[in-house]
Amino acid sequence: MQVSLTVNGQTTWIDVPPERTLLQLLRDDLGLKGTKDYCHSGVCGACTVLADGAAVSACSLLAAQVNGKSITTVEGLEGPDGLHPIQQAFIDNFGLQCGYCTPGMMLLAKSLLEENPAPSREEIIRYMGGNICRCTGYAGILRSVQAAADTLSKG
Amino acid sequence: MCAAASERQPNTRLVGTSMPTLEAAEKARGRVEYMGDLMVPDMAHAKIVRSPLPHARLVSIDASQARALRGVVCVLTRDEVLADPDVEPIYGFVYRDAPIVALDKVRHQGDIIAVVVAESEAIAEEAVELVDVEYDELPAVMDTAAALANGAPQVHETFHPIAPELRPEEGTNICHHSILARGDIEEGFRQADFVYEDTYTAPPVQHCALDLHACIASVEGGKITVWTNCQSPFPLQRELERMFKMPARVIVPHVGGGFGSKSRDRMEVVITAAAKLARRPVRFVLSQEETFQTFIRPAYRGTVKTGVKKDGTVTARQVTFYVDVGAYAISGARSANNTLKVATGPYRVPNALVECYAIYTNKPPSSPYRGLPTTQHTMAYETQFDRIARDLGIDRVEIRLKNMVEDGDIHITGDYLRSTHAKEVLQQVADGLNWGIPAEPDPSGAKLRGKGVGATIKYTLTPPRLMSENEAEIALGEDGIFEVRIGTVNIGQGSDTTMAQIAGDALSVGLESIRMVHSDTGRVPVDSSTTASRSTFHMGNAVVNAADKLRADVIDAASHMLERDAGALTFSSSGVIVADDPGTGVGYDEIVEQAGAGFSAIGDCVVGGTFSAPDGNEYPIASTFWTFAAAGAEVEVDTQTGEVTLVRASASANVGTAVNPQSILNQLEGGISMEMGPTLFEQMVWDEGGQLLNAALVDYPLPTMETMPDYRPAMVEHPYPGGPFGAKGMGEIGSVIVPGAVLNAVYDATGILFHEVPLLPHLVLEALDAKAAGA
Repeated sequence: MQVSLTVNGQTTWIDVPPERTLLQLLRDDLGLKGTKDYCHSGVCGACTVLADGAAVSACSLLAAQVNGKSITTVEGLEGPDGLHPIQQAFIDNFGLQCGYCTPGMMLLAKSLLEENPAPSREEIIRYMGGNICRCTGYAGILRSVQAAADTLSKG
Repeated sequence: MCAAASERQPNTRLVGTSMPTLEAAEKARGRVEYMGDLMVPDMAHAKIVRSPLPHARLVSIDASQARALRGVVCVLTRDEVLADPDVEPIYGFVYRDAPIVALDKVRHQGDIIAVVVAESEAIAEEAVELVDVEYDELPAVMDTAAALANGAPQVHETFHPIAPELRPEEGTNICHHSILARGDIEEGFRQADFVYEDTYTAPPVQHCALDLHACIASVEGGKITVWTNCQSPFPLQRELERMFKMPARVIVPHVGGGFGSKSRDRMEVVITAAAKLARRPVRFVLSQEETFQTFIRPAYRGTVKTGVKKDGTVTARQVTFYVDVGAYAISGARSANNTLKVATGPYRVPNALVECYAIYTNKPPSSPYRGLPTTQHTMAYETQFDRIARDLGIDRVEIRLKNMVEDGDIHITGDYLRSTHAKEVLQQVADGLNWGIPAEPDPSGAKLRGKGVGATIKYTLTPPRLMSENEAEIALGEDGIFEVRIGTVNIGQGSDTTMAQIAGDALSVGLESIRMVHSDTGRVPVDSSTTASRSTFHMGNAVVNAADKLRADVIDAASHMLERDAGALTFSSSGVIVADDPGTGVGYDEIVEQAGAGFSAIGDCVVGGTFSAPDGNEYPIASTFWTFAAAGAEVEVDTQTGEVTLVRASASANVGTAVNPQSILNQLEGGISMEMGPTLFEQMVWDEGGQLLNAALVDYPLPTMETMPDYRPAMVEHPYPGGPFGAKGMGEIGSVIVPGAVLNAVYDATGILFHEVPLLPHLVLEALDAKAAGA
């Protein structure tokens, strides 16, 4: 079947088998390997991407389900002026160690900050609570999201 | 011991500066390649046929239907392995007991029976279902008690330990039994006013490193190349060369965490055998569910018996512990044995007897797990210490300080302890908890609050005899850049950055003049492993040593060019300069150009042997350094639900010199987070038939941002003699101290001393009810 989707601003038409997941489409068909996989069951959040701005687990959606949608992956965060403030915040605030959960964490943070530009500590924790990180203990990630919120709110 | 680099003062001061890792920006861009992102041309895909039974004799394997499926390249079974005279079928560089594929029987649920290689993963998966296996089921032993029972079925009929310190007991399931003794244990207990005995247990858990274990193996032109996300590339290379009788190269990309699970993986030899049969490169990715059947943190049972005087002075301590190494003791027996050294804690124990049993069972093979089983030893002796303190009416911090080791003490291993600062570490944690002020009661009374501390001592991997397995190479090329080639695996701990900081200071150049090359046995010199918090110390020393050698050669060349005595010259960020006339000098690129070739030097770090103490005596080195650490916990226990919440967690360690201080604090936070799972809610559960009930993440909760405590990480810095610029290792220590401190805080909150983890709500409720009924 043919699906059409806009990935990081580029519209693509692609023929995929009906059982193709969004994760497979991104990684295997489009070569966007920044989106990571671990549990393949929608639990860990390593494959989090944005579909029309909303955070979703790419492993748990069929390509057909995102037909016509606009997808943002980690490769789409950086703009012509350099790193996205969320990326910079994760670097500066030691929000990453091994880096494997980082793309998913940053996209989840982007979704949060678009919904709620000035989240409280508790709101960040509730929103980010679904994504697993095994290295940092989450404190660095929390600081990174808070710092990114500050930067973004200053415009 | 290694060169006394600690005495040198760095010029450029990269050491001691907090900085994000060199690769942080590429990771934030999603551009760093992990194993799962790598592909090679003409590659086929493997899937594994696994045993559904925990223990069975293999009667027959029929793979004919699988082989006939369109797209299947080959199927590797015992027949193919045994038919190849150039393949040694058994793997294990610490304990040689794991076959490439099952030869006569299967020993755990998930044991490897066959490998299917196909054009795609989907075809391989389909073909796995077509392999027909006939079993003759055997009774299984699912825990150490069953394995030690009279007449228990034997998991292995023969024993093949490789490491010299391993001692199996023939005719039993004991694959290793050892004793460490000091003083006279009987006399020690006679001197005691009171003797306490407690037994503690902890079930298996999973590492859950998110970067799935994966590898690609290629056997071509009489050479093996393996790409893998393992923690021990050089031991793996040697094992591949022994098993397949040809040269091997192991290449490790960036690794997304391992926590020990990637230190002794055997998938690489399995996939190499499959690639040899397939005559094509073969790629394999272990699924998250498969990791639960491949290596686990072993079950632990330990008994601590302590003799104390009325004033709280310890006179004797006896520790007997059983580690369930599962079906294969690939490295579990040695890990268990190593912790003999620390099982009595960071205390003066004049009379000690420690006994270690590593037991085969029909569980999946065990694997190291961030300091294990030091973690469980710490939980045992530290909670018992709180019981003793309570009984004797002594403050819980006070009783520890009274018994804690100091510089010049002789440890139970016979080591002369120095640069300990264990008391300072504990005091820092206690101060952070406002020790002395009881936890503020919950106004509603529905929650009980408490505080607890725990302290520990951790060894690092140190060979029992003198050997050099830690080398670094530094090369200066025509671009004037110093290329640092090391075998340390950059697994998320930031080792490239740590080593670049050390190299920069050792060479007096900035980070812009350093390029890191890591973990490719074809490009870097030997290193034993990235485990046991060993890299900063051992590889750091090798880097300093290489820098010293390289500097001598480069200064020699510059001295001819500048026509100045070598003694007058020194390294700077821009090139070799005249020390008292910094305006005169020559750039590194010019030196290489003039010399007509680059420079390179290999440095090493020789460990083990003995230490000449200030008292004039020689003492053994059972560990090249010891890490002293402590943790403090504040908990809240919900009396309605039994739920325990870790509200605040402090931690501190004596880290020597902090190379990258912020990164150390982050390691402590990460360690606390990781270990709070097994302390409060994580465990693997099997039914009576040996079937694992919670192999999927959906059924296996992990710590999240929502369970995160308020962290208070800290450290004390005292340059460690012999460490690179005084540094020592600490990667595991944040985990090791957690369960003891948490159990003690729960004890403080509830008056109930738990002897097991995880503290599941139903256990806590039952204990609260029993206590209420008793009262």
